[in-house]
Amino acid sequence: MKFVGIVGTNAAQSYNRKLLEFMKNHFSDKAEIEILELRGVPMFNESDDQSLSPVIQNFNTKITEADGVIIATPEHNHSIPSALKSILEWLSWNLHPLDGKPVMVVGAAYDVQGSSRAQLHLRQILDAPGVNASVMPGSEFLLGRAHEAFDGEGNIKSEPTVDFLDSCFYRFMRFAKVANLLNVPEEVNFEPGTYNVTALGHNGDLPMVVEMSSTRIEKIEIDTSGESQGIADVVFTRIPNQIIEGQTLNVDILSGASVTSNGVIDGVAKAVKMAGANPDVLKKRPKAQSAINRGDEEYTADVVVVGAGGAGLAAAASVLQQGKKVIVVEKFPAIGGNTVRTGGPMNAADPEWQRTFAAIPGEGHTLEGLAATPEEQVDAEYLEDFRIFKQQVADYLEQTKNGQEFLFDSAVFHRMQTYFGGKRTDLQGNKIYGQYDLVKVLTDQALESVKWLEELGVEFDYKDVTMPVGALWRRGHKPVKHEGYAFVAALEKFVRENGGQIITDTPVKQLIIEADGRVSGVVGTGVAGQTVTVHARAVVLASGGFGANTRMLKQYNTYWSEIDDEIKTSNSPAITGDGILLGQSAGADLVGMGFSQMMPVSDPQTGALFSGLQVPPQNFVMVNQQGKRFVNEYGSRDQLSIAAINNGGLFYLIADDKIKETAYNTNQQKIDKQVAQGTLFRADTLEDLARQINVDPAVLVETIAKYNSYVDQGHDPEFGKGAFDLKVEVAPFYATPRKPAVHHTMGGLKIDTDTHVLNESGRQIPGLYAAGEVAGGIHAGNRLGGNSLTDIFTFGRIAGRVAIAEQVRSAEHVTN
Amino acid sequence: MNLIGIVGTNSNTSTNRKLLQFMSKHFSAQAQIEVCEIKHLPAFDEPEGRQAPQEVQELCEKIAAADGVIIATPEYDHSIPAALKSVIEWISYTTRPLINKSVLIVGASHGLLGTSRAQAHLRQILDAPELKARVLPSSEFLLGHSLTAFDEEGHLVYADKVQELDEIFEEFRLFVKINQQLMKEHDFKTEQNKRFSWETASQGGRF
Repeated sequence: MKFVGIVGTNAAQSYNRKLLEFMKNHFSDKAEIEILELRGVPMFNESDDQSLSPVIQNFNTKITEADGVIIATPEHNHSIPSALKSILEWLSWNLHPLDGKPVMVVGAAYDVQGSSRAQLHLRQILDAPGVNASVMPGSEFLLGRAHEAFDGEGNIKSEPTVDFLDSCFYRFMRFAKVANLLNVPEEVNFEPGTYNVTALGHNGDLPMVVEMSSTRIEKIEIDTSGESQGIADVVFTRIPNQIIEGQTLNVDILSGASVTSNGVIDGVAKAVKMAGANPDVLKKRPKAQSAINRGDEEYTADVVVVGAGGAGLAAAASVLQQGKKVIVVEKFPAIGGNTVRTGGPMNAADPEWQRTFAAIPGEGHTLEGLAATPEEQVDAEYLEDFRIFKQQVADYLEQTKNGQEFLFDSAVFHRMQTYFGGKRTDLQGNKIYGQYDLVKVLTDQALESVKWLEELGVEFDYKDVTMPVGALWRRGHKPVKHEGYAFVAALEKFVRENGGQIITDTPVKQLIIEADGRVSGVVGTGVAGQTVTVHARAVVLASGGFGANTRMLKQYNTYWSEIDDEIKTSNSPAITGDGILLGQSAGADLVGMGFSQMMPVSDPQTGALFSGLQVPPQNFVMVNQQGKRFVNEYGSRDQLSIAAINNGGLFYLIADDKIKETAYNTNQQKIDKQVAQGTLFRADTLEDLARQINVDPAVLVETIAKYNSYVDQGHDPEFGKGAFDLKVEVAPFYATPRKPAVHHTMGGLKIDTDTHVLNESGRQIPGLYAAGEVAGGIHAGNRLGGNSLTDIFTFGRIAGRVAIAEQVRSAEHVTN
Repeated sequence: MNLIGIVGTNSNTSTNRKLLQFMSKHFSAQAQIEVCEIKHLPAFDEPEGRQAPQEVQELCEKIAAADGVIIATPEYDHSIPAALKSVIEWISYTTRPLINKSVLIVGASHGLLGTSRAQAHLRQILDAPELKARVLPSSEFLLGHSLTAFDEEGHLVYADKVQELDEIFEEFRLFVKINQQLMKEHDFKTEQNKRFSWETASQGGRF
């Protein structure tokens, strides 16, 4: 038999080590005992998962392969040492090698107690559900006065003690043999039939049908019509596929979708139970073949793109449009990154279209106000454009002086708003604003990007011009349906139909960098742990920012007085700054890293954008926890966030029945459900609404009365709200709780207008390009709402085009 | 009254941390409770010389200066977390400031049981001669379902639990005072315990 012996302390000198060494020698003709030491095992920390580190993996593998485990514990403070507790915590969290494993407890100590109390604690700990070891009952071996117990050769001197140890050990050998029988896979028989259960979706339960024959799970069908598209659908196909393929419930959950993954597994487990079988048996079966590493993979393409969000897919599409080969590597199971999470409006000045809409109250003031900015406040490179803009405003006001005000716009106005909107000073006094040439490309080519997307199949809704929060102007082009997913769906279809390859579940770990500094591919880790290498002439980094990496946000932050450890984010959990680190490994320079954007109107619990009633900003009425307005609701995102933070973080959006009709991405069913769950408040009177959110009713009533009077007069003397639409007057009334959450990171890799990544001397890094949120320099201190989609589709497109033009065409030229 | 509250975990997110932060605010009129973290402390490794690292010494000094200590423990595998056990080992291995110190044990868990088994272990641990803490007897504060126990502002939302905590805290304040009185009037072998070691005890050199 083969056992593992764990020395229960990390101390240099230990009688428990001596005891195990004695057992190893003494029983060498009966069993093989391999001794494992705790030195080098990190302190368990659930915030810093090291389950995959070599030292923990060594314990995991050795224990898994052994017939049983012997733990020798000292006693520290009437319990087991922290070092021993720490390894048991590692082995009961994400890994469970001790589950069902026969375990023998022994212990040695200085005093006569011989670790008696520690052993009792250890037995209780090994019984905990996460550990779930099969501990041999009885046969307690306590070696007291251990310092006197051994002779010079390390043998136990007392013969009766050795006799007792022999009896305990022989019993353990038999116990291990019997206990391991419990681990032999059981036969499973189902009552054949079709079972209706549910899986857990993001928006509630999803109906799931499981079909079983007498020996197999034959079919799993999940009705996902109630789910938002794009985010979760991989869970609902891959997990059922693996369950059926391996006839197992031992399925890896998908990163970023653990709740829905477990929901599917639990649902099938329930069906198994209904069919009269024990799901635990299926949980102990091996994983499906496709989930097991079958060797490393190697690919070659003209261009490899890191990240399958909007920027990456745009880059890939533009490579394919030129007839070249592209591979997109995505770390998550699902593609779409943050793009699938957006509301869909993409800023592009399209004056011909926009002038068909009437202006709304307040917009004229906004134009005049911006045009009245003193020229000395405008940075030199923007001055010429600023003068053009002033002339445009003068012309517009002249044209509309007799009424009939229409919605004005121009690429120059978009540029000035991006510039002014991004101009900020951080806590250290550093001033920042968008780099002129990049902002010019963004705003001049925005409309071209819209047209390009239309060619690829994105359908825009021209009946409405939208303004997302913090956009400052109505120039949003919104897809007809499916919001951000519309872009991803169209681009994915185009990429796949034109021979592009998308490899999911594969985080890129490093860039391949040649001796001359040229970047020529990437190396990642695949879903089953295999190495995935892609060789290419050019690498486009399109992996997004670092909004879901709190540690990195805190490391670079120079803008917010504090970023809380538990700050929420509206981002996908995939957005952890990977591309920035990859760029740095090739010597890339960074720009504006200290500036991150909070989305002021996020869900306080989840950070999500589209819960409650998310309406256009002209219909925002924000009240603090005292029921008072506190800010110009039409302001930029950081102004709103700072105001919210200064008012205690949590605040409410107040709406009436008419404003409710203008809410994005919701419906009456979702609204009713949220009211029932208590995440959205609804009442027939403002007074009652006030009571529900713990606000003085008189204060809220007065706040709303004042707000309504400002709407009537088209002017807000208190906070200067930039535009108005509806009053709050028709019952029922709503209050949506909101709180700022991390939304966008403006800083990133330094690029030029051709998306070359630049090094610290300002020179191009050959073969390396970057587009989207991974790059910095454009939005500077604050990104306008609706500008991120413009950014990713404009620069993503450029990256694909330039990479081919420079790296592939020039290489062809040389070989020809 | 000056108390310190020890967050019994190294995790970045912890409802035990929230519990202590709540107590610190909620009882601010009755006592000053400084919430202390253990996440930056190195793991105990039984070094020769019985010298605690700087960060541990700082915590020990705070304990020594305080009138009492509140420990908020999570439950990992039916016991206290290794990270908390490690701190206790440092304390018992070096200057032993917990000897005769009044201690209140509280705990919060995501599940229903509220760290009952971890608290029982912690009591036994604090009873060891080299720790010899004076733990408030017959009162335990178990906070189950801790994920939904605190609102946005960190207030404990379960009214019955707030009342229970009020009562236990009042009792603890009294316990601290009586214990201080007792210590003033009697010498309970504090110095001997400070020198106690299992090595010498086992060689017949008990006290």
